[in-house]
Amino acid sequence: MSQTFILEPDIIAATENVMPDLNNDLVLAKNFLKQQSAATGDSLYDHLVDVVQKILSQKPPDVVDNFEQYSWEVKQEKFRPNFDLLNDIYLSPPQLATVSRMDEMFRLVASKATKLDDLGEEEQELDLEEDNYKPKIQDLVDHNYYFREGGYGLPTSECYAIYIAMIMLGIKESVATVRFFGKIYGTKANYYVAETDLTIEELDRRIREFDLKDMPGEGEGEGEEMKPPIEEQAEVLGEGEGREPVSKEPVPPKLPPEPVSTWTPPPPIPVERPGQGVNKKVYWVCNRPGDQWICLPDLTPNHIKVARLCVRCMTGDLESEVITFPPFEGTERHFLRAQIARIAAATSISPQGFFTFGSGEEEEDIDMEEGGDMQFNLNPFYQGHTLKDLLDSNLTYWVHHGRHILKQGRTIWWNPNADMEEGLEEEDDEGIPPMEPETGPNLFTPLSEDARIEGLSAWTTRVSSLMCSDRALATIRSNLWPGAVAYATNGKKSECMYVGWGLKFQPPNFSPLQLPIPQNEYVIGPEVMEMADPTFADEEAFRIAHLPPPPPPDILGEGEGYGEEAEEDEDD
Amino acid sequence: MNVHKLWEYQEYINVNGVMMTSELISVLQNSLTLLQVENHFTHIQYWGQMYAVDTDYHIAVGINNDAILDRKYFYTTDFKFWGLLPRAKKKYKQLSFLTTFPFRGDPSLKIKVLDEALDETHPERCKIMKEESRLAATISNICDEAEVCARGQLIKQPSGNVIINPNYYGLNGSEAKLLKSYLHIRPAQHRWNTNLLTRQDYNYSMDFLDSIDQDIPSGCWNLTLEQNGSVAYVKSLYWPGMMYFHKVRTPDAGFLYVGNGRKNLDVPFLL
Repeated sequence: MSQTFILEPDIIAATENVMPDLNNDLVLAKNFLKQQSAATGDSLYDHLVDVVQKILSQKPPDVVDNFEQYSWEVKQEKFRPNFDLLNDIYLSPPQLATVSRMDEMFRLVASKATKLDDLGEEEQELDLEEDNYKPKIQDLVDHNYYFREGGYGLPTSECYAIYIAMIMLGIKESVATVRFFGKIYGTKANYYVAETDLTIEELDRRIREFDLKDMPGEGEGEGEEMKPPIEEQAEVLGEGEGREPVSKEPVPPKLPPEPVSTWTPPPPIPVERPGQGVNKKVYWVCNRPGDQWICLPDLTPNHIKVARLCVRCMTGDLESEVITFPPFEGTERHFLRAQIARIAAATSISPQGFFTFGSGEEEEDIDMEEGGDMQFNLNPFYQGHTLKDLLDSNLTYWVHHGRHILKQGRTIWWNPNADMEEGLEEEDDEGIPPMEPETGPNLFTPLSEDARIEGLSAWTTRVSSLMCSDRALATIRSNLWPGAVAYATNGKKSECMYVGWGLKFQPPNFSPLQLPIPQNEYVIGPEVMEMADPTFADEEAFRIAHLPPPPPPDILGEGEGYGEEAEEDEDD
Repeated sequence: MNVHKLWEYQEYINVNGVMMTSELISVLQNSLTLLQVENHFTHIQYWGQMYAVDTDYHIAVGINNDAILDRKYFYTTDFKFWGLLPRAKKKYKQLSFLTTFPFRGDPSLKIKVLDEALDETHPERCKIMKEESRLAATISNICDEAEVCARGQLIKQPSGNVIINPNYYGLNGSEAKLLKSYLHIRPAQHRWNTNLLTRQDYNYSMDFLDSIDQDIPSGCWNLTLEQNGSVAYVKSLYWPGMMYFHKVRTPDAGFLYVGNGRKNLDVPFLL
């Protein structure tokens, strides 16, 4: 047996020994296998040794079927670059960037938590105000558990990171409540959206800022004042031009005055102040949990109007341009805010009685405030509904708690004629007829009132479990905003969430807004209409018809004819 | 998604907020394993869910010899009985694009489809289609346009059979960032040498499928790397609800569709 292993001296001897014998052939073959390839310096012999070694040590199944694969792998392993040559360069794993950001967040939250604990022990009694200040953060982990029971929700890892990020938001910014709104996919990055109420002080500050911005605004007035001077200037210039040529050159034909556009833009719809209507909640977004939360700007009605007329994917970059028709004033952050407002308005739902106006005890207050901006709170007396009720396809047990956004782009209707009616009461006859105030469905309207989409109701309910009805909970998903879901247990828990592209399902398809029909350049009348020239006979007839009055017959009968016609029209 | 790995894969599902519940996974694993044994499939995959009004359809794919041509689709509404979907006819594939109303959840339902492209007097204008055929046609449409795999996941053997690569090691980090590394699971529609020669490191056994980077318009596929770049997600804007994930450097990958079966024709406006 020992003869099968040939030692180096034997090989050397074999090359010298030319006698044909089996041993010699073997040695020759081995020599051939040991030939080094010029390109890599590798030899087949070594390679086979490595392959056999790998196969024997790893004992993979079905080697013969995948032999090429193994050979390939062995080769690949050999060509791994050896970075130690470059004096010990350590390549950090790609996760490092994310991890360091997350680490910062974890540290902040952890340090705050320990600090609060210390405080709590020492001055628990004195610290009531401090406790009030602590922002209320939605228990996302708990809600996510129920969402996942129902077949929706976030992966566990993501959910926990977002939860910590929400706590960070509560620490860093002056917010009173934090709720996870959802996740919006973008083509390059995704947005995580948190919905918050500001603290009272911060809200006051923002309202003051808003008022300041609005004061010098009186916006429309300024714009109008700006315009007339330009026109006057133009007139002055026109006169000047008219005079100059007199002195120098033959008079050019006097041009008719340039037509002035009579179109006036409709008065801009005022923005709802922070803490009111569509701007009731403040939204914060980040691309990844751990990133800095960025506050989205307040909405103007125009943003919502335009967002309703176009479709667009988010890109994940808040500063990216929004190119749409009609033009959208603002960057993606405004567009995102508008979409969030639309989604929030349409898909904030809860079981009937989950929220209530006021604190739940004083129900007489309902009629006090009218229309839009009523406060509502968790109903302490909510007892939950049975699953059968929640799953009922009539959906009467689910209600909206998002305020409907009117066509104006506001939740509270603003009367565009309000100022006019006050100021110009005398000229009322000419004024625009008073507008019918727009109304949307009230708060807490059941979902059964929602519009249907092509025979499909706007919401679909499902039960989470068919096998164990004790654990089951009801989920409901929106067909209008794919990705919007809500759950309710037969106990006291309910929440809604949106994870999706931020696109509305609008069958059959989106069709872009048509351009408006161009205005007529001039009034169509006898002056501009084509008609047959009067013949000599006609003129004669006209002249004879007009003879009786003594004045001499007109030379320019044609022109006057037209003029008279026009005059007659006017008299009519 | 491979039925036997659903428990591992459930954390990677990332489509419109959908997660699989424990009950769904348990039931699927049971009933689909039985289905696999009954039909002698080498592989069985959970394909996805089709929303319907009354009860949703769940779809599974059984694969035998050939991973592209020899696929059988099954549907169920109650997980007790899996029905074999008929082969999608061309006529129905076209009609299913025209249908606007939602699935009902009853496979034997007959629905009327109005083809508005035809004259009002044309006898073919109003056609009747069974919901089962519509389901088959819709699934076939989605498969043709949106079902993808990572490069190397399917390999063509010298005999011409396409098999799921048993020794697949996954894409590496830089490959996973390229749309070119993801291929359509369908008989190739481009010329074979287009698919082969657009790559530097072409490989006869891998590059026999169309890669998704040639789809029009560019941007209709959305590729993101998440979880520190360890999982790649491919999503189609045309079929919202479609998702493909691939864990970088591992053989773990899966396709899932959860949606209402409507193609989003607004894509050119979205970009």
